[in-house]
Amino acid sequence: MKLAKIGALAATAVLVIAGCSNTPAGSGGASGATGGKTIKIGTEFPMSGAETANGEPSANGVKLAIKQANAKNAVAGYTIDINVQDDAVNGVHNPQQGATNLHTLVADTAVVGVVGPFNSSVAQAEIPIGNAAGLLQCSPANTNTGLTYPPDSAQYRPTNPDKINYIRLAAPDSIQGPAGADYTYNDLKATTVYILDDTETFGVGVGNSFSDQFKKDGGTVTKRDSAPKTTTDYTPLFTAAAAAKPAAVYLAGTTPTGMGLALKQGRTVPGFETIPFMGPDGVADLGPGGTTGATITVAGSAAHDVSGTVAGIHDLPSGSTFVADYTAAYGKAPGAYSAASYACAQVIIAGMAKAVAAGTTDLAAIREAVRAGSTVAGNTFDTVVGPVGFDKNGDITTPYMSFYKTDLTAAGGKGDWVYVKQQAFTDPNK
Amino acid sequence: MKSRRIPVPRFAVIVVVALVFAFFSLGVQQFQNFLTLGAVFALIALGYTMVYGIIELINFAHGDVFMVGAFASMWLLTGPLGLPDKPIDDPIRLTGVLVVVMFVTMVFMGMVGVIIERFAYRPLRHAPRLAPLITAIGVSFILQNVIQALFSSSPYATPQIFPKFKLELLGGSIGALNLFMVAIAVGLMLALALFVGRTRLGRAMRSTAMDREAAELMGVDINQTIAITFFIAAALAGAAGVIQGLYFGSIQYNLGFNAGLFAFTAAVLGGIGNTTGAAVGGFAIAYIEVSAAQLGYSRWSEVAVFSVLVLVLVFRPSGLFGQALGERA
Repeated sequence: MKLAKIGALAATAVLVIAGCSNTPAGSGGASGATGGKTIKIGTEFPMSGAETANGEPSANGVKLAIKQANAKNAVAGYTIDINVQDDAVNGVHNPQQGATNLHTLVADTAVVGVVGPFNSSVAQAEIPIGNAAGLLQCSPANTNTGLTYPPDSAQYRPTNPDKINYIRLAAPDSIQGPAGADYTYNDLKATTVYILDDTETFGVGVGNSFSDQFKKDGGTVTKRDSAPKTTTDYTPLFTAAAAAKPAAVYLAGTTPTGMGLALKQGRTVPGFETIPFMGPDGVADLGPGGTTGATITVAGSAAHDVSGTVAGIHDLPSGSTFVADYTAAYGKAPGAYSAASYACAQVIIAGMAKAVAAGTTDLAAIREAVRAGSTVAGNTFDTVVGPVGFDKNGDITTPYMSFYKTDLTAAGGKGDWVYVKQQAFTDPNK
Repeated sequence: MKSRRIPVPRFAVIVVVALVFAFFSLGVQQFQNFLTLGAVFALIALGYTMVYGIIELINFAHGDVFMVGAFASMWLLTGPLGLPDKPIDDPIRLTGVLVVVMFVTMVFMGMVGVIIERFAYRPLRHAPRLAPLITAIGVSFILQNVIQALFSSSPYATPQIFPKFKLELLGGSIGALNLFMVAIAVGLMLALALFVGRTRLGRAMRSTAMDREAAELMGVDINQTIAITFFIAAALAGAAGVIQGLYFGSIQYNLGFNAGLFAFTAAVLGGIGNTTGAAVGGFAIAYIEVSAAQLGYSRWSEVAVFSVLVLVLVFRPSGLFGQALGERA
């Protein structure tokens, strides 16, 4: 009898607690002043473990955009909310988890656009799902060329080949790799380079385009290696590569998939102690020392003389309050793709506002209008990174590349990335 | 536990020939990498083989015991010892720190090994052989998730306390840390061989491995003997964990999975149950890894390693050192 009573009590307690927690959960984190109906932007980033440094600042950019849009009542009669998804499994981005998340976002009828993903391999799994559902994704960070550029991009749109459902603000690897190569050859003055990739979609792609451009510049690739992310010992690779005495190293990949460890161990091998290391945005994560999973944290004192590219703009248009607003809201400086994530959210919000202003009330119709409106020829969106437009493939029409370098004395001795320069590029796919 | 079965002079000749071959095929610098990596694999493989030798259990949690050892030593260095990520130049202080970290980690991991045996494997000692195998996989997941819960799923940078001192030798530069690692590994292996071959407890271990009932009839405390085996196996994995942190510089909760598979392959290659074989197998696997990197085929190295596993199981299931199947240990 006693047991049964306790059981009943416990059950009641659970129900009460469950009931309580239901009440505030509905409105989510980014509530604003506007009343009325709810419309959502989804975010799809790797948010945990080693990837925290990548996903969290990007999602925060979206949250800030939503908060400020709600404050201005950007979409009349609607409160914008957020649906946050995390594609990291055991701390590393995972394409299967990304696909599952995108199905979740598609099923949430209030979601009319998604910001993300962060990683190209995840995008490969997600774009076909968004294509079938007609849900727009705007990635602040994906750089794999084939995601947008035909003929490769056609395979990601099996259901509706003519409907572009994926746009991106980051410059593709066909810019990032060559930009890194030019920087290594012209700015770092290295004529020989050793390239190590992480065997992933992104790493191999950016490694190839780097290699091609570096040779075109007149340099020599002394050796090219591929090592999967399960590698724990990079010293034999660097030892073998040392024979040809390269003047620089290009780490084609990301820190969570082994490039941070490769940097740390590579530095201990004779011949690599002082030469410059160069990497794409997967290495130049702009996280100061101490940030979980950031390159400088992983590599420690080995992270000196590392340069990197970020596939986006550094200097925001003059008069922008973005950095100040972000820092005030989250207590730290924005990440490499916070501003681009904010801009992606702005593109989606602009689409919503336009559809709602035109009298569309059906959520499915708004979703379609946001998707179709993003790549209309001659369309420009005013965003935090300046006016942006997208071509018929979904690529940004005015791609930018920024260059950074590590400084281990920055951030109070913890080490940080310092900005070197930024450069505008013409669309390489033309 | 077949540490003394191979005649010593012949074995020594084989080892010397193999080392000379490795030295000339790899060059000084890669030879050093090969020895260091081999030392880690060998230490882990020893634990696999000892446990298999005595209770015929493929202890799939062993790789994770190694990983826990790496985390325990990192915690010890950064927590209680409070050491920053920079080399300790004072040799006396360095020795002190290393002795403390090595000793505490090995004893702690040894106790973890004993606890695992007591609660996860001993109750299943007479169950069908599949049951403890599945528990071993369960224990593996438990260890991984405990570490994930206590720390996180991110990779952790371990303090690099060893001076970056290098010896210019034979046209290459040999790291003091590499020498230290190989010395520790070889020392532990010799100590193990002496323990198993020359002591009373070692004799109890060998007799238990050979015939558990008969050993019991002769007055050997089976439970105690098996517990000691697990203690030693886990302590060796702990030592490998310390080395992993000191040398490779980064550890993660899933480190044990691959390391475990590699060490398992090493144990099978040497003849599972055979301690000498496991040590040799560890170095053989390291040789494959390093020469793959040297030749520019690093993305094929795992294919090569696990092909060795399959080939050995198909053509020489008793391993390179002729493990007689009827007499498993």
